[in-house]
Amino acid sequence: MTRLAGGLIDRTRTLSFTFDGRSYQGHPGDTLASALLANDVRLMGRSFKYHRPRGPIAAGSEEPNAMVELRRGARQEPNTRATVAELYEGLEASSQNRLGSLRFDLLAMNDLLSPFFAAGFYYKTFMWPRAFWEKLYEPIIRNAAGLGRLSMQADPDAYDKGYLHCDLLVIGAGAAGLSAALTAARAGAQVILAEEDFLLGGRLLAETHLLDEAPAGGWLAKVEAELAALPNVRIMRRTTVFGTFDHGIFGAVERVADHLPTPGNGVRQTLWRITARRSILAAGATERHIPFANNDRPGIMLAGALRSYANRWAACPGQKVAIFTNNDDGHRTALDLAAKGVEIAGVIDTRGSVSALGNYPVFVDSVVENTRGRLGLKSVTVRSGAKNFDLDCDVLGVSGGWNPNLHLASHHRARPVWNDTLHAFVPGENGPPGMTVAGAAMGQGSTAAAMTAGASAAVAAMEGLGLRAAMPELPRAEKADANLYPLWHVPGKGRAWVDFQNDVTVKDIRLANQENMRPVEHLKRWTTLGMATDQGKTANVTALAVMAELTGKSVAETGTTMFRPPYTGVSLGVLGGGDTGPHFRPRRLTPSHVWAAERGAVFIEVGPWMRAQYFPQAGETEWRQTVDREVLATRQGVGICDVTTLGKVDVQGRDATLFLDRLYANAMASLKVGMVRYGLMLREDGLAYDDGTCARLAEDEYVVTTTTAQAGPVFRHMEYARQCLWPELDVQLVSTTEAWAQFAVAGPNARALLQRVVDNFDLSNEAFPFMACAGLTVCGGLRARLFRISFSGELAYEIAVPSRYGNALMARLVEVGSDLGATPYGTEALGVMRIEKGHAAGNELNGQTTAQMLGMGRMVSAKKDAIGSVMSRREGLLAETRVLVGLQPVDPALPVVAGAHLFTEGDGHSTATDQGWITSACYSPHVGSAIGLGFLANGAMRMGEVVVAANPLQGGEVRVRVVSPHFVDPDGGRLRV
Amino acid sequence: MSELIPTCALGGTMPRTETFGALTLTEVADLALASLALRRNGVRPAPMGMALPDTGQWHAGEGIAAFWTGPDQWMVEGPGRAEEDFARLIKAEAPDASVTDQTDGWVVFDIASSAGGGRIVDLLAKLVNIDPRRLAAGTACRTGLEHMAVFVIRRADDRLTIMGMRSAAATIWHALAGAAARLEGSAT
Repeated sequence: MTRLAGGLIDRTRTLSFTFDGRSYQGHPGDTLASALLANDVRLMGRSFKYHRPRGPIAAGSEEPNAMVELRRGARQEPNTRATVAELYEGLEASSQNRLGSLRFDLLAMNDLLSPFFAAGFYYKTFMWPRAFWEKLYEPIIRNAAGLGRLSMQADPDAYDKGYLHCDLLVIGAGAAGLSAALTAARAGAQVILAEEDFLLGGRLLAETHLLDEAPAGGWLAKVEAELAALPNVRIMRRTTVFGTFDHGIFGAVERVADHLPTPGNGVRQTLWRITARRSILAAGATERHIPFANNDRPGIMLAGALRSYANRWAACPGQKVAIFTNNDDGHRTALDLAAKGVEIAGVIDTRGSVSALGNYPVFVDSVVENTRGRLGLKSVTVRSGAKNFDLDCDVLGVSGGWNPNLHLASHHRARPVWNDTLHAFVPGENGPPGMTVAGAAMGQGSTAAAMTAGASAAVAAMEGLGLRAAMPELPRAEKADANLYPLWHVPGKGRAWVDFQNDVTVKDIRLANQENMRPVEHLKRWTTLGMATDQGKTANVTALAVMAELTGKSVAETGTTMFRPPYTGVSLGVLGGGDTGPHFRPRRLTPSHVWAAERGAVFIEVGPWMRAQYFPQAGETEWRQTVDREVLATRQGVGICDVTTLGKVDVQGRDATLFLDRLYANAMASLKVGMVRYGLMLREDGLAYDDGTCARLAEDEYVVTTTTAQAGPVFRHMEYARQCLWPELDVQLVSTTEAWAQFAVAGPNARALLQRVVDNFDLSNEAFPFMACAGLTVCGGLRARLFRISFSGELAYEIAVPSRYGNALMARLVEVGSDLGATPYGTEALGVMRIEKGHAAGNELNGQTTAQMLGMGRMVSAKKDAIGSVMSRREGLLAETRVLVGLQPVDPALPVVAGAHLFTEGDGHSTATDQGWITSACYSPHVGSAIGLGFLANGAMRMGEVVVAANPLQGGEVRVRVVSPHFVDPDGGRLRV
Repeated sequence: MSELIPTCALGGTMPRTETFGALTLTEVADLALASLALRRNGVRPAPMGMALPDTGQWHAGEGIAAFWTGPDQWMVEGPGRAEEDFARLIKAEAPDASVTDQTDGWVVFDIASSAGGGRIVDLLAKLVNIDPRRLAAGTACRTGLEHMAVFVIRRADDRLTIMGMRSAAATIWHALAGAAARLEGSAT
């Protein structure tokens, strides 16, 4: 055991967990990584490409190596960073990306074959033969180079989402963030403090610096207590702000239950959308390493991470520690570890004149050139001036300086700026509006500077919001300069890793340079540097600096790749919000849904609606039997169909008539009160938009209907016309789609059936002729609206009642009409009957067709202007000869397939010879064969001709005869009886 | 009164109610609604003596209430009057305005908290992207909830009404009940 003294772990309790099947013990406060290190386990994974043995190099979310499959069964989650996985009793983790055991990974032979796996290898190697890629190459590569495995089971956990609003969002609760939050909170602002860790404090938790001559823990506890007591502060632990979006909106994931064995009845994670008037990014900094040959062995870590493990988690990954540094910060690690009783082999410092801060050897003007140790570090080779020597150590801390965590400040494409003094990129101008960056994220890395910067940023933010904030009294803290002298990599022979997660080495960058992949964006894509779960947090800047060196440019000239959300990986489960299956999206039910369900109706999704598709009866074994019965029953007796889903818009106002006359292509001004007219709307470009009916209920009141699919868009179109095109008109619009349950009552017995439900209303043809409408009462005083319109070609009405009575009315109509053959029918029979009658629907109104094509060219009034009228008369549209025709197979036993294309008999089947296409098709029980509607070139002049309907997609072609699109009652006599 | 028996938006003959800890959800089936829009340059009426509320506001009068829905547009509420021809009544009170029956266009859910307004704020955070500080008692707004358009009315500090498409009643209930249950720590 290499558990040290002290730390922020609760030693009074012990937690048992397993890694790769072996049991270990840790304590509350541990992460999986810290607990494993304390158990002398530092080999935690295999690398992506070469399957090199790897241990953690970091102690936070930037970790590229120590990724595990966490949990078992359906909850198994791949690529979980051991460095942020909190330990809980019974935790189960497995290493990933290996074949065999972690110690003897068979795929480690890839390491020996590394010359073949240089950057860009798969762009070159697996190009030929082309067909091999999907079936052979990709599966092999995926298997060998994959990361963790999915459970392949459904996610059993619940996820939640929510919205928060605040005056100030503080991202990160380290020295800067806490000072900022405290300052703003005291000023009375609504503050959200989001911290990705489970403890507040940031680096203060990992350092031994004194605040006011006392350990930082005292100050932390005081500030935390004050913030917790303020009602205007919301502290969100375990919450990663992963993205900066427009208008001051941030995405954040709160890991509500990831630190528990299971979420129980609660949610696992919550996705928060935080709207903040101001924000302070205090996300700290990530330490960078210095590449040298074989710098990826378990035991080689960032020096700051070594300090974190020692000070916060009382863990050390070995017995004898060496430090490789180019700045003073590396020496702090030596000092802290020595204070914990760990043996320090020496500090290898690249700089010339430095001296030890404590009792340990220092090798100046020195670098680490190579290392030894197959599954873990055993020694390092030091080059000191002209001489080389080996230094025994099992731990090496590397410190190359710190890179500000500026990602969230760049999500709006603000370019980071290179700072020659700090030797780092810092947030540039033009960051997200309202955001200030403070502390180490701005390069203000000392504790004193971070605290002052955080508090000052909050004062400024409050001033911008009109609140007066005072600088709080901040504790005295260290303000040392790191005295960094940049060194970006140690030149040498062996492979020196830059990006651990993607196995990208200095050689790969050199190769990219040779192959002219020099721009940073090319470098990234070609080498895959900076990709995958860590997004290159420990690699990017080092890689750019190496490229800069190779091209002889400065880092500033070389530039940097940009950052996009998410900052760290976000599970798709939490983005999806947890609702699956029938709750995946909103579902709308028709007013007669309960009745239809009781009748055993089969439902179909129509957009968000669930509509009855057909109503099977006992003895019917397949859907066609049911639909044929429903069609024939309607045409012979009376059928009833719930048509509530069609859009309804109430139009009122002194100028309602003029408004509708401009909206519809056909004349509406002449419509009399109490009458309905079919209406066709065009788009601005003259193509057909939507059709429906327009009923004039009073001089200044209409109700218009739309198709089901276009109910929303047409209403929006009408509002646009009202508010933007003709604001001078006196028109008021309101949707009433939901308010009225509407039923089609169709068939020769429709009048007789309705007579049984209306209250003293004359339904005779004279009193209520075809296309009449009226308000009336039914079933003993219930308000209703009646329209004599037909979509089926039969004598038909549509009756509307307040929606809550729809279910009862449906039941009543079927009940009182049993002797008349009253039959409920669904969307399938509805479709069959409208095809038989030749009515256009969505298939024909597909946005590519004109009134002329639909056979309604003359409806577009030339006597007035309306939206799309002029454009509908442009040459290109007038030259279109395809028109709607009916199609009937020459052999009545053969099918007609919608989507099939039409060709003249004897012609080949190509685009050049294409004559049109079939839009709708069904089996017509009225005709006794399949029928179709389609657009055919010069169709009106080709009645009786036989053409070929070809279906190259599924194979097959059928000879079809061109007929009138009106298969039923072409002169419309049935409608008017 | 018709012989027909009405069906509630959630499909039952009686409105649904369910309690989740301190939060109680109730389907309100007897609220009459009528939209009222001024004609161009029309004068703002005062139906049944009630002044129509200003932008973003909800206001209750004697047996009547209303909330603002858009420029020169309001939704007028008649508690307990769903069975009446409420639109006709309002039209008589505001003959120069355009009035449309909306009673059955909406499903109405009341949410009451027995633990004060704080719990309502917590619930709001899980439902709609509205700053609760701006949705004080006496305000109303239209917003999105689970990809649906809804009206949110804060009738009192501890009472909220959510109105959505009647046809989507079950989806809205699922969203409200789910959020309330998760908030109160009871499984759904």
